[in-house]
Amino acid sequence: MHNIVAAGENTILIYFGTEIDNVLPEKIGQFVEQLKSTLGNIIINIIPSYTSIHISYDLNKIAHQAFVDKIKVILNQQDNNIFVIKSKTIYIPVYYDNEVGLDLNRLLLEKNIDIQTFVKLHTAQEYLVYAIGFSPAFAYLAEVDVRIQITRLSTPRIKIPAGSVGIAQNQTAVYPIDSSGGWNIIGRTPLNLSLNKPGNIDKFHVGDKVKFYAIMRNEYLRSGGKL
Amino acid sequence: MSICEVVVNYEKLLFYTIFIQRPLMSFKVIKSSFLHTIQDYGRINHGEHGISQSGAMDEHAYCWSNYLLANHSNDAVIEITFGGLVLESQINTFVALTGAELDFKINDKPVQMWLGVQIHKGDILSLDNLKSGIRSYLAVKGGFDTPVLFDSRSVNLREHIGTELIAGDVIPCKKYSEIAYRIMPKKYIPNYKQDIVLRLLPTYQFNDFDIKQRDLFFKQDYSITNISDRIGCRLNGTPIMSKKKQMISEGISYGSVEISTDGLPIILLKDAPSIGGYPKIGTVFTLDLAKLAQRQTNAKLRFELIDIPQAQKKRKKFNIFFKINT
Repeated sequence: MHNIVAAGENTILIYFGTEIDNVLPEKIGQFVEQLKSTLGNIIINIIPSYTSIHISYDLNKIAHQAFVDKIKVILNQQDNNIFVIKSKTIYIPVYYDNEVGLDLNRLLLEKNIDIQTFVKLHTAQEYLVYAIGFSPAFAYLAEVDVRIQITRLSTPRIKIPAGSVGIAQNQTAVYPIDSSGGWNIIGRTPLNLSLNKPGNIDKFHVGDKVKFYAIMRNEYLRSGGKL
Repeated sequence: MSICEVVVNYEKLLFYTIFIQRPLMSFKVIKSSFLHTIQDYGRINHGEHGISQSGAMDEHAYCWSNYLLANHSNDAVIEITFGGLVLESQINTFVALTGAELDFKINDKPVQMWLGVQIHKGDILSLDNLKSGIRSYLAVKGGFDTPVLFDSRSVNLREHIGTELIAGDVIPCKKYSEIAYRIMPKKYIPNYKQDIVLRLLPTYQFNDFDIKQRDLFFKQDYSITNISDRIGCRLNGTPIMSKKKQMISEGISYGSVEISTDGLPIILLKDAPSIGGYPKIGTVFTLDLAKLAQRQTNAKLRFELIDIPQAQKKRKKFNIFFKINT
């Protein structure tokens, strides 16, 4: 069953589970699309996350209880329906090297593996987008192979360059813009994922899949990568 | 047609781009200080993309500033923090200044706040000597016309969307077709020095805090710390305990009251990240957040409960009066 709680005078939260689970992102991603197509005229904002969807509606048009009732009807319909999976796979090139991977050496030492094995483990996985947040278009990806999982830095860095790829526990992510942060940086993508390229706003959706692939230094530089 | 402005700074380029219009419709920044940014009603529909709501911190003063000039409720204004702004008008138009009380002068002559005022090309507008509140709102007839990014003109420095105003900037504004402005009854001008009570909706993890902790929360006076900005407002007081210390990140509402690991509340505001993982004891009624936006460091406040139907009724009245269509 889904648990629905209020989150503000015109906002509710629907919980799809109580634990992080790899079946949830797709379910949540699909429900977001369904909400847009059925209640698009009264919904203002939707924030999907690991186990929940946060929905704001126009209180000029509908009251709290009436909105919750509408949501319940759609949730029941969804339970009885089979939806076509529309999620996509996004491919991201990464230059894995100490030159750009600020924490790579330390991670290799700590995990006692060589760089080839590390790259193989990080690129082998097809990651799921569990949530988007922290900064615009920052996608939380999981699950990182247990052999290269590592806790975040105790003191966050003031500035991590845009494009940096990081690991924190079982999650990995790309920093779309220069930001502060405590993730272990293992490489960098030459792709511009910042909002300076407005199309990037729609790059990731909860439920999408992401694959990283390794590129060499010259290709990184040729594709616009900075050192 | 004349090209009036080409800015080299790359983030500026994104925000101001090239502005083409005749005649030159703009204001020039002569002097700037702490933090002045362009804000409108906000970027309210991009939570899915990890983008903050942004927008004017004090919706009450912001809405009145546009109302006085018969502008659209979403028109962009300048949010002036702690005063200290001098502008030169490049056009004949009307402006209205609301919010934090300060000395508002046009060519060194004092001008009333909370009133539509006619200005002329070459006039110098100065906003100085803050007396109460924090944020003032300067609206121009037709609204400021900086580029719309992701459905809003609001600047969000945390997200690198737009930049703060600095001396030398040229801020374009729209042409207006009719001369129409309105007046407002004086009784709606708030006193920003009064202590405030924030009405709290019992939302999120409210029920995960036991009765004793909730009592402690509602019975004490909190004070505003200096760790307060457009992202959030950190309060000082007696810590309360929550059963959970951290939780799975979930969507954050404007006004969510997080209880951080030290047991003290942080009220999340317009530029807060869209998701977060601390337990939340409730959500402050949005119209009370307008009052909070004007309270300085050390100001006292407390919380009391409000239910959803009551809050909706009050907010709906506000939305209808100011013609806010989301």
